[in-house]
Amino acid sequence: MININAIHKSFGDVEVLKGVSLTVAKGEVVCLIGPSGSGKSTVLRCINGLESYDQGSITINDRQVDVASKDINDLRTQVGMVFQRFNLFPHRTVVENVMEGPIFVKNEPRETAHANAIALLEKVGLGDKVEAYPQQLSGGQQQRVAIARALAMQPEAILFDEPTSALDPELVGDVLIVMRDLANEGMTMVVVTHEMGFAKEVADRVCFLYGGQIVESGDAHTLLTQPTHERTQDFLRRVLNH
Amino acid sequence: MEFSDITAFLPILLKGALITVQITIGALLLSTLLGLLLALMKLSPVRALSLTAGTFINVVRGLPIIVQLFYIYFVLPELGIQLSAFQASIIGLGVAYSAYQAENFRAGIEAIEAGQIEAARSIGMKSKLIMRRVVLPQAIRIALPPYGNTAVMILKDSSLASTITVAEMTRAGQLIAASTFQNTTVYTLVALLYLCLSLPLIFGVNRLERYFGKSAKGGKA
Ligand SMILES: Nc1ncnc2c1ncn2[C@@H]1O[C@H](COP(=O)(O)OP(=O)(O)OP(=O)(O)O)[C@@H](O)[C@H]1O
Ligand SMILES: [Mg+2]
Repeated sequence: MININAIHKSFGDVEVLKGVSLTVAKGEVVCLIGPSGSGKSTVLRCINGLESYDQGSITINDRQVDVASKDINDLRTQVGMVFQRFNLFPHRTVVENVMEGPIFVKNEPRETAHANAIALLEKVGLGDKVEAYPQQLSGGQQQRVAIARALAMQPEAILFDEPTSALDPELVGDVLIVMRDLANEGMTMVVVTHEMGFAKEVADRVCFLYGGQIVESGDAHTLLTQPTHERTQDFLRRVLNH
Repeated sequence: MEFSDITAFLPILLKGALITVQITIGALLLSTLLGLLLALMKLSPVRALSLTAGTFINVVRGLPIIVQLFYIYFVLPELGIQLSAFQASIIGLGVAYSAYQAENFRAGIEAIEAGQIEAARSIGMKSKLIMRRVVLPQAIRIALPPYGNTAVMILKDSSLASTITVAEMTRAGQLIAASTFQNTTVYTLVALLYLCLSLPLIFGVNRLERYFGKSAKGGKA
C-alpha cells in the first residue's frame, strides 16, 4: 500500500536521501534502523508529506503523495504518525487530544468521537486517564495517548519515529506491547527504532539505512542475526553492545 | 487639604478620568489589531512582509512616545491630515504600543513547539484549523499576562496626551492646580484616581499569571 520509488531529498546542498525505495504491503510491519543522521526520520516525514522530496515518487494506495497538492490532508488522515516526543496538545485533555482529529477533520459527531476515543484509550491501557492533561502523565502514558490519537483517524498505516527513545527504560515496555498488539491485529506499520528486540519479534522486514540509502534489507531474523553488509554488521555490533 | 476643595475638584477630575479611560481603551484596541497584524507579518515566510514589520517595530520602539504624539498632532496636519487632539492621542499611543504588542503576540505564537503543529498536520488538520485549535488558544494564554501589563502602561502613558492639549485627567489636574495653587490636594487626588484605575488591572494580571502558571502544569483551564 505504501510505495516509495527512488526518492531523493536534499536540504540545501546536502543530499540526505539518495534514492530510497521501499514497498510496504498491507498488514506488513517494516522496521527502519540505521545510525543517527542516516535519513530515517526524513523517509517517514516524506511518506506523510511533512517533508517534500525532490525526485522519485511515493504513492499510498496508488495515490501520489505531493505536499503541494490539495488532497495531501486527505492522504495524511490515512497514514498516522507517532513522534519521538509525543507532541500532544498540552491545552487539551487526553480524551480531547484523541477526539480532535475525528471531530475537526472528519466532522464526526461529538458523541461518536467521544465513545471511540474512550474505547481507544481503554485499549492502550489509559481508561482511567481520559480527563487528565498530558503534563500529568508519564512519557510512556503520553506516547500511548499519541498512538490512540493516531488510531482515532482510522488510518490504514501508522508511521512511528523512535517512539520509545525519549522514554525512561522502565516505561518502554508498555508502549512496545501496544505496538505489538497493533501489529498482531494487522495494522500496517513503518517503525524507526533502536529496539532490536522489538524488531526481531514483531517486524516482518527490517531495512538498514546508511548515508541516505537502504544498504541492506531482509526478513527481520536474517538481517539482525546474519547481516551480510559490513556497515550493517558494524552498526548492529554497536547497538547490541552499547 | 479641605474637604470642600475635594468635592469641588473631583467632578472635573472624573471628567478627565473618563477621557483617560477612553484614550486607554481606544489605544489598546488599535495596538491589539495593529500588533496582531505586525506579529503575523513578522512570522510570515514572505521576506518583504517580515522585513517591513521588523523595521516598523524597531523604528517605533526607538522613538519616545511623546515625539510620536507631536509628530502626529503637529506634523501630519502640514501633510493635509487633520486630526483632533483626542484622535491623535489614540493613534499615537496605539501605534507606539503596537510594536510592544506585536512582540508579545509573536512570543506567544513562537512558544508553541513545532512538534505540535506537525502532529496536527499528521492528522490532516489544515493551516487555518491548526491556528484556531492548536496555536492561538495556547498563544493567547501565554500572551495574556504581558497584554495586561501593556494595558497598564498605556493607561499611565495616556497622561502624555496632556502635552497635546487633551483634557484627560493629568491635564485636568494641571489646570485646576494652576488656577487654585492647591498642588497637594490636586495631585494627590490625581494619583489616587490613577491607582483606582491601574491597581485592579494589576491585580487582574497577577491572577491571570497565577491561573495560567498552574494550568501549564496541568490544572483545568
Ligand atoms: N529541516 C532540516 N534542515 C536541514 N537539514 C536537515 C533537516 N532535517 C534533517 N536534516 C539533516 O538530514 C539528515 C538526515 O536526518 P534525519 O533526521 O532523517 O536522520 P535520522 O536517521 O532520523 O537521525 P536520528 O537517528 O538522529 O533521528 C541529517 O544529516 C540531518 O542533519
Ligand atoms: Mg530521526
